[in-house]
Amino acid sequence: MAEESFLADDFLNQLMSVGEVDLLVGIPSYNNASTIAQTLHCVEESLRQNFVRERAVILNVDGGSGDETRQIVEQSSERREASHKGLTSLRTIHRISSIYDRSPSQGLALRSIVAAADLLRARACAVISPATTSLTPAWIASLLRPVYREGLDFVAPLYVRSRFQGLLARELLYPMSRAVFGQRIRELYSDEWGFSGRLASQCLEQDVWREEAVRARPEAWMAILAVGAGLKCGQYFLGPKTVSPSATGPDIVEAIRQTVGNVFWCMETNQSYWMGRSNSQPVSTFGPEHELSADGIPPSQDKMFDLFRSGVNELEPILASILTADTHAQIKAIALSDRAKFRFAAELWVKTLYEFAASYHHAVLNRDHLVQALVPLYRGRVYSFLLEHANSSAEAMEAQSEILCQEFERQKPYLLERWTAKS
Amino acid sequence: MKEVIIQGLRQAYSNLVHMFAEFLPRLLVMLVIVLVGLVVAYLLKTILRAVLHLTRLDRLSEEAGASRFLRMAALPSMTELLSRSLFWVTWCGFILIGISVLGVAGLQEQISRLFLLLPAIFVAILILFIGLVTANFLSRAALLAAVNAGYPSPKLLSWSIRFVIWALAVSMALEQVGVARQTVIAAFSIVFGAFMFGLAIAFGLGGRELAREFLERNLGEKKREKYEEPQPL
Repeated sequence: MAEESFLADDFLNQLMSVGEVDLLVGIPSYNNASTIAQTLHCVEESLRQNFVRERAVILNVDGGSGDETRQIVEQSSERREASHKGLTSLRTIHRISSIYDRSPSQGLALRSIVAAADLLRARACAVISPATTSLTPAWIASLLRPVYREGLDFVAPLYVRSRFQGLLARELLYPMSRAVFGQRIRELYSDEWGFSGRLASQCLEQDVWREEAVRARPEAWMAILAVGAGLKCGQYFLGPKTVSPSATGPDIVEAIRQTVGNVFWCMETNQSYWMGRSNSQPVSTFGPEHELSADGIPPSQDKMFDLFRSGVNELEPILASILTADTHAQIKAIALSDRAKFRFAAELWVKTLYEFAASYHHAVLNRDHLVQALVPLYRGRVYSFLLEHANSSAEAMEAQSEILCQEFERQKPYLLERWTAKS
Repeated sequence: MKEVIIQGLRQAYSNLVHMFAEFLPRLLVMLVIVLVGLVVAYLLKTILRAVLHLTRLDRLSEEAGASRFLRMAALPSMTELLSRSLFWVTWCGFILIGISVLGVAGLQEQISRLFLLLPAIFVAILILFIGLVTANFLSRAALLAAVNAGYPSPKLLSWSIRFVIWALAVSMALEQVGVARQTVIAAFSIVFGAFMFGLAIAFGLGGRELAREFLERNLGEKKREKYEEPQPL
């Protein structure tokens, strides 16, 4: 039991009264009053239907909600206890609620969840976002079962996406993490995932919880930790995902700061693992590996190109300190090209990202600033993608994504060269 | 008459010899102090340089953007700059102590005044350095935020922030050293006030449309069409 001293006494008392469990479902919440009751109901239904004999606990960790979230959780627990008295003879589904901090942080929420999993010796755990409105009991079972029954240590979700959704994941996060870390996990950055008690204990031993990269996006760090430790990873197809309208996701700048900053940080802290690897391996996949739906209309593009062009122009000294002269010259050249004929080629895109990663490693300037300087270039790449694929079918887009992934893998020696070059 | 002249010359010669006899040991002591100071300063420089290399100060300075500024000003790296500064400050201190040993009237007072100023000069240099690093960091942060948000004239915003912080740091450093305090405060107030007034006029006249749009967007019913990027995740 590693380091449980950060847990509040009340929380510890609740955990000790539960004893050991087989399954743990963590629900990190922050101002989710409109959806939390439905989430709790869904999780409980899933445990009742799919894990009849297992001991289970539902753990709500709150980041200091200012709305009624906490009260709803407490009231629903009381109602449930009254209504289910005497009907839960085959299993025990406990509910625990606690505040992990006065301000929301996915990393600190996960820290409480893995500490609880470690303390209760849970074998399989899942983290579920209360902002997800398309959650079904089957989702929770899909994340827990591969861990509990198949012996996997990390289970990522797979969602149905429209053609123009999740471009950051498809153009950058997935292909880059696949090439660098060598595992084909498509959704490293998601709000739902499953993991084993063994992985929870390993996570708890790491002294990284105050790192910004882990505080913001702990799920990818957890996956990469599992990959690096040689644990078994997989992914489960869950279907279409919708979120509560009140839960607006991060804007593009914040999303890049969180996710790309996290990838670069994981590269920095796992060098010994990934530097000796080439190519990538598929992971156990349950259901279709990917599914782009044909719907979705291409978003407005003109402003995106303007932002790319002005970014390349205004950030010239910053980009000059990050990129090699050749790459910088190529980007400046395409920024001057006609917007209708604009192309940000995959080869240049991969080279740019690898140079950004190496500059992050060499700390040529403040690392958060470095990641932010990538935003205009990402916009350029997305503009080029939209121009090229406005009328493409989902299959053509998938094929293009695979070509990009292979380009990332092909250029990995270049990443190693820049990474090990003296700054 | 002749004897008086000879007596006077003898007296002058005797005084000169006496003076030299008194001065020469002091001069030797001064030279020894200066030489010892040179050795001590060199040793301190070497030790500091090694310690700063170990603490990777240059990387931190690079990260904070201070190194770029030093390169622009044709200055050496941060480690080299600090260790060389320590060398010169230490050696100058020893030279001043040596000069004070000479016992030249009037010089003593000036030297002691200079010694009293040394801590203030150090603090002033520190203020300037912190100001430089802060200005660079914040102006770059503002530039990135403005560029990524698509605001007009991001460089103007960035340079404005840099200028204000520099002006503040320079006036604080001069105030610390005690150089024409009243003048510095007055000059800073005038420069800062003029800058803010200029900004107010510029935004007031040039940004009427922008302000109207902003108010309409945030308070009014008429909403501008919002630019939405594709969902990134």
